[in-house]
Amino acid sequence: MTETKPAKATQAKDEAPPSTVRGLAAALCAWIVPGLGHAMLRRWPKALAYFIAVGVLAVVGLTMRGDVLPASSQDAFDRLGFVADLGTGGFYFFSKTLEPAGPDDSKAAGDYGTRIFAAAGVLNFLIILEAYEIGRRNRA
Amino acid sequence: MLNHFQAMLVFAFCVSLAFAFLSKRRLGERIRYTVWAFLAFLLVAIGIGWLMFPFSH
Repeated sequence: MTETKPAKATQAKDEAPPSTVRGLAAALCAWIVPGLGHAMLRRWPKALAYFIAVGVLAVVGLTMRGDVLPASSQDAFDRLGFVADLGTGGFYFFSKTLEPAGPDDSKAAGDYGTRIFAAAGVLNFLIILEAYEIGRRNRA
Repeated sequence: MLNHFQAMLVFAFCVSLAFAFLSKRRLGERIRYTVWAFLAFLLVAIGIGWLMFPFSH
């Protein structure tokens, strides 16, 4: 009975307490550059896999000349599309640099590109949530 | 530029990879899940493509 108390105290000392600030910082990094939040938390394999997955999807979507929806979209679906696109973080803000020719919805490829870019953003939202959880709980 | 089938392959692989790292912890499990999800994406996409074929004429 008396031995369990010091053991518990040592265990509690080894584990970092839940930190919302660390979680939010990881989430912000994960949004700006996909995978950066996990890199910040030293989850290297996850960081690399997420950067490749979201980065490749975003670049493929842009090179297929998919549409990147602006914040001023009028239609409700376009506004949803804007939120999805915004999930790609840096890729959204540098979309003009990555594909200077801009979107072309006149062909099916452009339409597919729009969906692929939005899928990259939605996927990154899941990754942002995971980075927040890992950062907050400091779990493996 | 990628054709539509190549774009689908890239999409299926990237999403499978991300889901595997989100849901599995061990490397072996992640590889198995990536392959399984990738093949499932491919099978479903080709299946739906064939189902829609009669309506394309």
